[in-house]
Amino acid sequence: MKTLFSSYRVWAYLAFAIVILALPLIGDEFWLNRVAKYLCYGMLGAAVALTWGYAGILNLGQGLFFGIGAYAMAMSLKLKSYTSMQQGSETPVPDFMLWNAEPGAPTDLCCITPGSWLWIPFQSQWVGLIVAVVLPAVFAYIMGRIIFGQRISGVFVSIITLALVLLTRLIVTDAQPLTNGFNGLTDLGWFTVFGVELDPYSKVTYMVVAVALIIVLALTRLLVATRAGTILQATRDSDTRALYLGYDVPAYQSFFFAVSAGISGLAGMLYVIVAEFASPSFLELSFSVTMVVWAAVGGRGSILGACIGAILINMLEARVSETESLVEAWKLIIGFVFVIVVIYLPKGLSGLAHDLMSKLQSAPKLSPVQKEEAHQ
Amino acid sequence: MSAVALELDGLAVDFSGFRAVDGVSMAVAHGELRVLLGANGAGKTTLMDLISGKTKSTEGRVYVHGRDVTNQREHKIARAGVGRKFQIPSVFSGLTVRQNLEVAQSGQPGVFANLKMRLDTEAQERLDETLDLIGLTEEAETEAGVLSHGQTQWLELGMLMIQNASVILLDEPTAGMTAGETAKTAEIINRLKGKHTLLVVEHDMAFVRDIAERITVLHLGKVLAEGNVAFIENHPDVKAAYLGKQGIS
Repeated sequence: MKTLFSSYRVWAYLAFAIVILALPLIGDEFWLNRVAKYLCYGMLGAAVALTWGYAGILNLGQGLFFGIGAYAMAMSLKLKSYTSMQQGSETPVPDFMLWNAEPGAPTDLCCITPGSWLWIPFQSQWVGLIVAVVLPAVFAYIMGRIIFGQRISGVFVSIITLALVLLTRLIVTDAQPLTNGFNGLTDLGWFTVFGVELDPYSKVTYMVVAVALIIVLALTRLLVATRAGTILQATRDSDTRALYLGYDVPAYQSFFFAVSAGISGLAGMLYVIVAEFASPSFLELSFSVTMVVWAAVGGRGSILGACIGAILINMLEARVSETESLVEAWKLIIGFVFVIVVIYLPKGLSGLAHDLMSKLQSAPKLSPVQKEEAHQ
Repeated sequence: MSAVALELDGLAVDFSGFRAVDGVSMAVAHGELRVLLGANGAGKTTLMDLISGKTKSTEGRVYVHGRDVTNQREHKIARAGVGRKFQIPSVFSGLTVRQNLEVAQSGQPGVFANLKMRLDTEAQERLDETLDLIGLTEEAETEAGVLSHGQTQWLELGMLMIQNASVILLDEPTAGMTAGETAKTAEIINRLKGKHTLLVVEHDMAFVRDIAERITVLHLGKVLAEGNVAFIENHPDVKAAYLGKQGIS
C-alpha cells in the first residue's frame, strides 16, 4: 500500500476524481450537463488510449462503438418518450415510424415498418443498457479475431475500421423507417433508476456519469497494470517476438479491442442519457478522427491523460465557439494544436507531466560525479 | 546420449520451384548444442523458420520431444517448447528489462490467466537470478529500447532462459558484437548447454570452437556433413563448399 501511494500517478487519478466529483458545488445544472457530455468524451478518449497507446492499434472507427451504444440506449429512451405513447396503440411506438409506415400498416412494433420488431426488446431500458455495452464488445471481439487473426496490422487496421464506421453510417441513414435516418433519434424519455428519473439537467445525472467515469478509469488502469496488460504492450512492440514466446497475439489484441469497444459503448450510452439524442453524426469520420486527436493531445500512453485531453479540448472548443470571430477558425486551431503536439510533445500532455515529475523526483539524487562537483 | 529433443525428418520447402531447404534430416539429443554452418543461402535461417513455424514446410516432419509440431502456428510450437532468437535482436523496446523478462515467463499464456497483478515469489526469484546471469541487474528498470547492442542480445538470451524453452534456436547470437561481448555470450550459451537443447547458426569459427560439440554443415539446402569440430574442419567437401580451399583462417 505504501508503494502504491508513493506513486504520483495514483495521486493524479485521485485528484481527478475529487475534482470532477466536486464540480456540482460550483456550477449550475446547465453547465453541469455540458461537463457531463465532456466526461463521456473523456471516457471515449480513455478507450482510444487503451487500443492506440497500449496495443498500438489505431482505430479510426471508434465512433462505431460509441454510436452502437448511443443508438441502443436511445431506442430504449425513445420508447419511454411520451410521444411514443400517443400513436394510438396500447404499446409504445416511435412517432417517426408512423410517418414512415406503409398505409394500412398496424400501429404496433411488431410490423409497423420493416424490421421494427427489432425494437421490441428495447421496451426495457435495461436491455438498452446491456446491449449498449455488450454489443460493441462482442462485435469488436469478432472483428478483432478476423482482422488480427489474419495478421493484419498497422495502417490496414485503421483503413478497415474507417471503412466499417462509414459503412454503418450509410446503413443507419438509409434505414429511415427503422432509425429515422439523418434525423437521428430525438424526443427521448428519461432513464429511471430505482424510481428516480435521470433528468439530464440535474446534479444526480451528472454524478452518475462522473462516478461511471471514475470507475471505468480505475478499472482500465488496473487492467493495463496486470500481466495481461504488460503482454499487450509487448505485442505492440513486437508481435512476432510475443508469438515465439507462446502467446496467442490475436487473442490478446481482440480482448483489449473488445474492452475498448465496450467502454466506448458505455460512453455513447451515457452521452444519450445526458444529451437526449442519438444521431448518425456519431458515425461520421470526423468524429472518430477527433477522438484520436483528443488522445494524442492528452497522451495516448496514459489512460487518464487521454481522458483529460478529451475534456480539455472540448472545454476549449466550447469557450472558443462563444467568441464569434473564432467559431470558423476552431478547426484550424485544433489542427494546429495537433501538429504542435505531434512534433514537440509526442507523448502528449501526460508525457510532459511524467517528464516533469521524474525530474522533480530525481533532482535530489545526484550522481557520484555531481556529488564530487558539489563538494568542490 | 539421452533422448532426442528435436528431430527433423526429410524437411523441405519449395518456394515455387526453388528448394531453399531440401530434405534435411537430423536429430539433436536432449541437452546438446548443435551448430549449423553453411554459406549464405545454404538454408540455415530458412531451416529455423520451418522449425519455429514462421514458414510452412512442403515436405517432411518436425518433432519436438517426439511430438509432431509440423506446420503448427508459431505460438503453438512455442508452447511445445521451442524458443527462438532472431538474427536481428528483437526485444520489447517500450518495456523495461524486468518487464521483458516477466513477459517471457510464459508458462500460462492465456489472456484470462494473466489478469493478475504480480508474479508469485518463485517466479520473481527466477527473474532476479536470470537478471544476474545475463548481467543486467543494474539495468532492470531501464527501457529495453535504450540498451546497447550487446545488452539487447543478452536480454534476449535471458528471455529464452526464463521462457524455459527446451529447444532453443539461436540465429547468429554474436553478430555485430565486440570480442569482449562475444566471450560473455559464449559463457552464457555454455551455461544453457545441458539444461536446454540448442541449435545455433554461427559464422564466427573462433566462437564455434568455443561452444560447439557437433556441427551440421548445410549446403544448398542439403546436409553436407555432420560431426565434431575437427572432423568438419578437415572434411574435404566442407572445405570446398564453405571454408574455402585454404581452410579456416
